[in-house]
Order: sequence, then C-alpha cells, then structure tokens
Amino acid sequence: MASLSFNNVFINEWETISGPLESDSKLKKYDLKMNDYYFYENTFEQAEIRMQKEVIDSLLKKVNYQKEDIDLIIGGDLLDQIAATSYANNNMPSSFLGIYNACATFPESIIIGSMFLNKKSIKNVLSITSAHNLTAERQFRYPIEYGSPKPQTSTFTATSAISTLLSKNIGKIKIESATIGKITELGIKDANNMGAVMVPAAAKTLYEHLNDLKRDIDYYDLILTGDLGCVGSNIFKEYTEINYNLKLKKYLDAGCELYLNSQETYAGGSGPACLPLVLFNKILLNKKYKKILIIGTGALHSKTLLNQKLPIPAIAHAVSLEVL
Amino acid sequence: MIYLNAFLFAGFICLICQIVLDNTKLTPGHITSSVTIIGAILSYFGIYDKLIEYCGAGATTLISNFGHMLYSSGLQGYEENGFLGIFMKLLCSSGVAIVSVIVFSFVFTLLFKAKD
Repeated sequence: MASLSFNNVFINEWETISGPLESDSKLKKYDLKMNDYYFYENTFEQAEIRMQKEVIDSLLKKVNYQKEDIDLIIGGDLLDQIAATSYANNNMPSSFLGIYNACATFPESIIIGSMFLNKKSIKNVLSITSAHNLTAERQFRYPIEYGSPKPQTSTFTATSAISTLLSKNIGKIKIESATIGKITELGIKDANNMGAVMVPAAAKTLYEHLNDLKRDIDYYDLILTGDLGCVGSNIFKEYTEINYNLKLKKYLDAGCELYLNSQETYAGGSGPACLPLVLFNKILLNKKYKKILIIGTGALHSKTLLNQKLPIPAIAHAVSLEVL
Repeated sequence: MIYLNAFLFAGFICLICQIVLDNTKLTPGHITSSVTIIGAILSYFGIYDKLIEYCGAGATTLISNFGHMLYSSGLQGYEENGFLGIFMKLLCSSGVAIVSVIVFSFVFTLLFKAKD
C-alpha cells in the first residue's frame, strides 16, 4: 500500500523565488529573485515568511486566480512549528494543512494534494515550501554569527520558496504515481553528513517504487534525488547497486546540480526547496526528460535528540512525473 | 625572530586543529575547549610562560592562552587566599577578554546586522 497511482492530477503552474547565491548558480532561470537575505524585512525568519507570501501572490497572478479559488493549501518549512508557512498563510481564505518531513516536504505535499484532488469538493490545491539558509542553520546547526567551520561532507541549505498549483485541469506536468516512504535509520549520528544519513531511505523508496509498480529502472528518463549532495549521491549509486542490484545511469541529485564549485557550498545544496528549485528551474527546461522520478529525501533529526546521542532517522518520498 | 616564532607556533596549532576537524567527528566547540584545557596543562608544567616569551602574541592570541590565564590566576588566588582564593581570582586576568567581548559584541550588535 506504499505506492499509489493517480488519474488526472496535474501540476499546472509554479512560482519560485531564489536567494542571492542561488540566482548566480547553475540554475538556468528563476521567477523572482532576492538581492539579500533580509528581503526588505528585519529578521531572516520574517524574510522567509515574506518569500512564501510573494511566491503565493505571484503564482495566483500568473494563473489569474483569486485567493478564494484555492481550496486547500498544503505546505511546510524548516522552522520550529513550521512557523514560516503558518505565518505566511495567516488569514488566507483557503483551508490549510501544515506538514513536515524536513527536506522531503515538497513531494509529501504533492502526494497529499493529489490524494485530496480525488474529492469533488477540492478543485485547486496549492503546495508551498520554503527554506532560508540562515534560519535553517540557526535551527539545525549553529547560528551563523558563530562562524563555525564545516566539514566537506556538510550541505548548504538552499534559500528559496516554491509554490505549486495542483488541479485536475490538464497542465504542464502529470502526476502519474507516487510512493510514500518509510522512516529508515542505520545508526548514523553525524549531522554534518546528511547525504549518508538519507541514502538508505532513498534507496528503499526507489526499490519499493519500482517493485510496486513493476517497472524497470530504465522506464524513467531521469531519477532526481532531492538533496543527497555530491557526497551522498555517490554513496547512493554504490548503495543501490550493492543492496538492491539497481544500476543508476540516468541519475542526478538536485543538491549537486545547484551550486557552482566556486560558491564554496561544501557537498552542495540541501533543504526542502532544493529539489523543486532545481526541478522547475533547470531540469524541466531540458526538454529531453519526459518521465522523471523525483525522490525527496529528508533527515528527520532534532537538535535536542542529536545532543542526546540518538542516531538520525531519514525518510524519502518518490513522485513520478510525466512532462506533457 | 619573535615574529617568525609567533607565526610558526600559531600556524602550527591551527594546522593541528584543522587536521583534527577534518578527520574526526569533533565539532569546533570540542576543539576549542580541548585547546583551552591543553593550555592549562602546559601552564601547569611552566611551558606556557616559555612559549609566551619566545612567541609573544603567537601564544597569547590563541584560545590556549585562556587556559593558561585561568590556571595562573587560579594558582595566584590559591597562594594568596587559600582554597576560596581560586574562585575569587580565577577570572582575574582573563576578565579583560571576557568583559571586552561582551561589551564590544553588544555595541556592534546595536550598530550592525548579521550578514551571511
């Protein structure tokens, strides 16, 4: 029951905002851009709230919808109590579901949204996710003012917010099927090597997806993992081959595809916004990919429990997309 | 000569710390506290005073000097006032650094905002 097939659920439109570093990265385009990390606000957290509001407003303008046309908003971010999403959607006329699966929040929102679209009363679902490098660093590691050096295996949270409109009207991308992942943990406690933490979950989800839907790995033009980073994606290739006998040929990692080498982001990008940002602003611009499997990977760690020496659990959700 | 010594000694300590950071799972917090403790131990053996003599600021600007100052002022307090003297004098010589860090951080926080 982990895999689901969908009929007639589409991604109609999306809007992305990219941070100062992301605007000059390997991305080919972006919808909106931030010139600095404050984004006209006083604090980084408030900047993240504003980023979400901007992408929602801009998306509605793009499709010429009113706020009332959105029946349900599903989203989350990396702050405690997913505060950025809750504050950004304050006083919206739509129903709201807040979700958290760390960096797998985007595919999770797509899966839940697609399920709800089977109901007659829900016509338009808006998925929202965001991450801000400096708020996430404060949340999961050290405040940026501390200036802590990082090892080369650590990843760099991408600053971005992405809103996506899902509906049953035929749109640019079809959501074909999905696999809901299982929490997996192999005892790794290193918060600076999230790639390695998330690999077992991603590999398990990929294997179950192919198994449940009786597909060969060559069915997909591209398998895109969320934020394993350059270190984690190499482990992923090795791990899937040894444990599941799957040879990954057409495979990319969004974290590794985001930043330029000169940007000194260690093992590449991460965060819930990393996968949709690279998907919408880089991968989909390349017309040769028609069937894409995105695997969002999330490290579900808490700073408190990590200090109590517990290992880090991870999750991965897969969504199969068909570009129309 | 003292300039060269300062450069070589401080650089050597930083090199060791970088190697430890890159090859172990210790965090920067672990490393700075270890270096502080090593400074206090060196101070106990009387080595740190020699290092300051030969390397000058190369030895005093490092965090290990904090350990040295804690040890030497604690010892001074013990000699003057007995056991309670350790508590009275422990932060005496390092107080200048601690207080200035607090005051200057406060002032700069008022004047500037954090950037990336």
